[in-house]
Amino acid sequence: MNNEWQQQLQQHFGYGEFRPGQESIIKRVLAGKSVLGLMATGGGKSVTYQLPALLLPGITVVVSPLISLMVDQVQQLRTKRKIPAAYLNSTQEAAEAREVLQKIASGQCKLLYISPEKLQQPYVQQALKRATVSLFAIDEAHCISAWGHDFRTDYLRLPDTVKQLGNPPVLAVTATATTAVRDEICSLFGIDRENVVVQTLNRANIAYDLAEVGGESERRQLTFDLIDRLAGPGIVYCSTRQAVEVLVAAYQLEGKRHVDGYHGGMNSMERMLIQTQFLAGELDVIIATNAFGMGIDKPDIRYVIHYQLPASLEAYSQEIGRIGRDGQPGYAMLLYSQDDIHLHQYMLDKEYPTPAQIQQFCQLYGAGAPPDPKALASIDMSEEMAAMLTFYTERALVKAQVSTTTEMANPVQDIWQETEKRKAVKQKKLAEMRSYVLTDRCLRKHLNQYFGESDLGFTRFCCSRCGLQRESYEGRQTALLQREVQNSWNLRQALDMLLPKK
Amino acid sequence: MNSQNSVAEERELLCAVALNAMLPLANERTLQAAYYILRGRKANQTLQDVHLYNLYPYYRMFPGFSKEDWDKIVATLFQNDYLQPCEGEGPSPKPTFLVTANGRQFAEHAYEKYGFAVWFAPFTRFDLAARIESFWQRLHLLVQTVSQLLGKDLGFVPVVMDKSVQQWVKEQVGPARLREAWEAGLSEELFRLWEPLQPQVQELLVAQLSGVSQVGKTLGQLAKQKQSSKVYLTLLFRYGLAASILRLSEEKQAFPLLSRLVVQENKLDPRLSDSAARTYALVQRGIHKAEIAAQRQVKESTVEDHLVEIALHCPEWDDADYLSSETRAAIMAASEQLQTSRLRLIKDRVGPTVSYLQIRLALARRQEESNE
Repeated sequence: MNNEWQQQLQQHFGYGEFRPGQESIIKRVLAGKSVLGLMATGGGKSVTYQLPALLLPGITVVVSPLISLMVDQVQQLRTKRKIPAAYLNSTQEAAEAREVLQKIASGQCKLLYISPEKLQQPYVQQALKRATVSLFAIDEAHCISAWGHDFRTDYLRLPDTVKQLGNPPVLAVTATATTAVRDEICSLFGIDRENVVVQTLNRANIAYDLAEVGGESERRQLTFDLIDRLAGPGIVYCSTRQAVEVLVAAYQLEGKRHVDGYHGGMNSMERMLIQTQFLAGELDVIIATNAFGMGIDKPDIRYVIHYQLPASLEAYSQEIGRIGRDGQPGYAMLLYSQDDIHLHQYMLDKEYPTPAQIQQFCQLYGAGAPPDPKALASIDMSEEMAAMLTFYTERALVKAQVSTTTEMANPVQDIWQETEKRKAVKQKKLAEMRSYVLTDRCLRKHLNQYFGESDLGFTRFCCSRCGLQRESYEGRQTALLQREVQNSWNLRQALDMLLPKK
Repeated sequence: MNSQNSVAEERELLCAVALNAMLPLANERTLQAAYYILRGRKANQTLQDVHLYNLYPYYRMFPGFSKEDWDKIVATLFQNDYLQPCEGEGPSPKPTFLVTANGRQFAEHAYEKYGFAVWFAPFTRFDLAARIESFWQRLHLLVQTVSQLLGKDLGFVPVVMDKSVQQWVKEQVGPARLREAWEAGLSEELFRLWEPLQPQVQELLVAQLSGVSQVGKTLGQLAKQKQSSKVYLTLLFRYGLAASILRLSEEKQAFPLLSRLVVQENKLDPRLSDSAARTYALVQRGIHKAEIAAQRQVKESTVEDHLVEIALHCPEWDDADYLSSETRAAIMAASEQLQTSRLRLIKDRVGPTVSYLQIRLALARRQEESNE
């Protein structure tokens, strides 16, 4: 390994050596090649653009779809890694954004995290041109693919943006990309086949378990039993906020471990406290919706239980990917019932419009601006669906303006075809998920094959189809719940603890 | 108390809070009026109710309440025979309710049992409900930051994500002189501020804070730990914050550091909604409501809503331009005789020459006088 790299790696990131895949990505990037990097969740994706950012002149742009993740990473870069980084997104006030832009233009920033929308602003592009972009990194690069599970329309403009910024090398990284998605990313950014670096997506230290449950009481009993027995820390994922609340309340009455809940309906201070308690080891288990986990830096999570079936294998692999980032053995349990599949199907049907709904929407839209909440309520349409229809309607209108030859014969039909296409993608994802739980062959093989991974190695056990001993993931050593000792209260002492004397 | 008991306590307390808030509203307002107050709705009707019926302690007590939560409580109150439905009076009556003797007894008993008089005492001013939230956010982030500074560990994740709060704390600990003052004096000022409070309130406040040596607990976690109910702790917590704000506002010299938390730097009058504050600025320049409406390009009825809001919150405003003392007296007399604050009933009594605006202004000002 190159000496300078090693030194930087040690100094800023505290690692002695690279993890699999990192070095070959960085080598190509520093040679000025555009690269697609596929790395397992928790495989150290961020180092592949953060380290080159330090070594290259100018600035590295990191496109990221999630604002919370952006804020989190920049905070870590600044405080822990001492790297001058900044972010730009829609939540900032004008004054703050101006300050960031000035820093960029004057070359004080090595890394800029930015949302795809913000990147389209001409003044942002100008500031970046002045600073000279030497690397254009795209996090969660699968978002650009219409075949991906969370396709983002704002990602579509990125290839143009790269040109605008003087064609710097592109580094697209993702943890979940099927072969079709990979091909699409490569053709969009002109990435050569030899510059696709695939770190094994196989998570050798995770054992996959699966159980079909009959009803709610069986599901709950099994989960509580696992929480009591398994060595933590662990996460239990539920599909709804309500399920989280019910489960937490029930477990706290009878369970043995420190458990609390986390979901988007809680106020932000509560969420932050619960999350911090979990990171600090004060909670053994978090019962949460999928709102929890993004950007969480906790390497010793020992298990993830899925209380209900997730909507796709992509979501599933992302959530269990949080297990054992320290490389130690971990355990993934997926509970499902026939009802789960029906429920997903029901939600899917509700999420996408019928031709009649599109017709109603277009009539409202025809009146001028996008319809307001009151108008939407009058046709009983959710805001999410309206947002989707607004996007497709606008696109249909633009298309109609461009094509002079053919009148837009039937916008409703056009829009419906588009939304049906999206629905079909999700439908397929659900079918893949279903086939995973119904298979009688090796779970690891099934999951890895879906992502085009052939490595099937494992460290302790493979999966429940191949045979695994659940007991080997149980933890007798973990301290069970004890009543906290209630000392007599003393304000002075408590404040001295909280605010220690200098 | 075991956990089953705290569930029962939670239910009893919710009913007690709701019923005590509803007592003065009986036969005058709908079943929903108290829900809007407890949730902290900002509509003028709600603000006016809070003021007219002196319900300050209840305003915004449960901002997270849903309509379902409320319907459950109301159903229980009916089941226990504490409430009775009732037809309203007047030409276009709205359904209202009555509190039964049983209900009155339960409300008074619980008021006593849970010490409402103590926990509600600091809520004598309208703006406290809005201020305790920002006060707590500033205090929480400030304590966390100073604690981390003292522990020489700056790699922490702030518990408060709100940008304006973060900015405020940055201004406090940015300049070296000020930072050193906070580091040296925060603990002592907090001690003096909270020392007079009940020990359980002190503990509740400190245990929720985060710093270098502790992660704050949520109110729900503390309720479990203390085997109490979250609703009861909410009362104590709000009391602790309101008492802190009042003391800091009154004794600025004694708390040179912490009194910075209660300074209101908003240029618009903080007692009013932004829009009403803009209207008030024009009112103070002697401009009449019709002209204000034209200048601000709003409806005149909106300006009238603002005037009522100003009458409620700004005792220094002289409303003589809109309400003569004779008309005021006539309105007051009608309200007394009819034992009501309902506008339509009063209007029917005083006759067509008196406007709704005048009645609303008179009623808004009435409470002011009885408070003083």
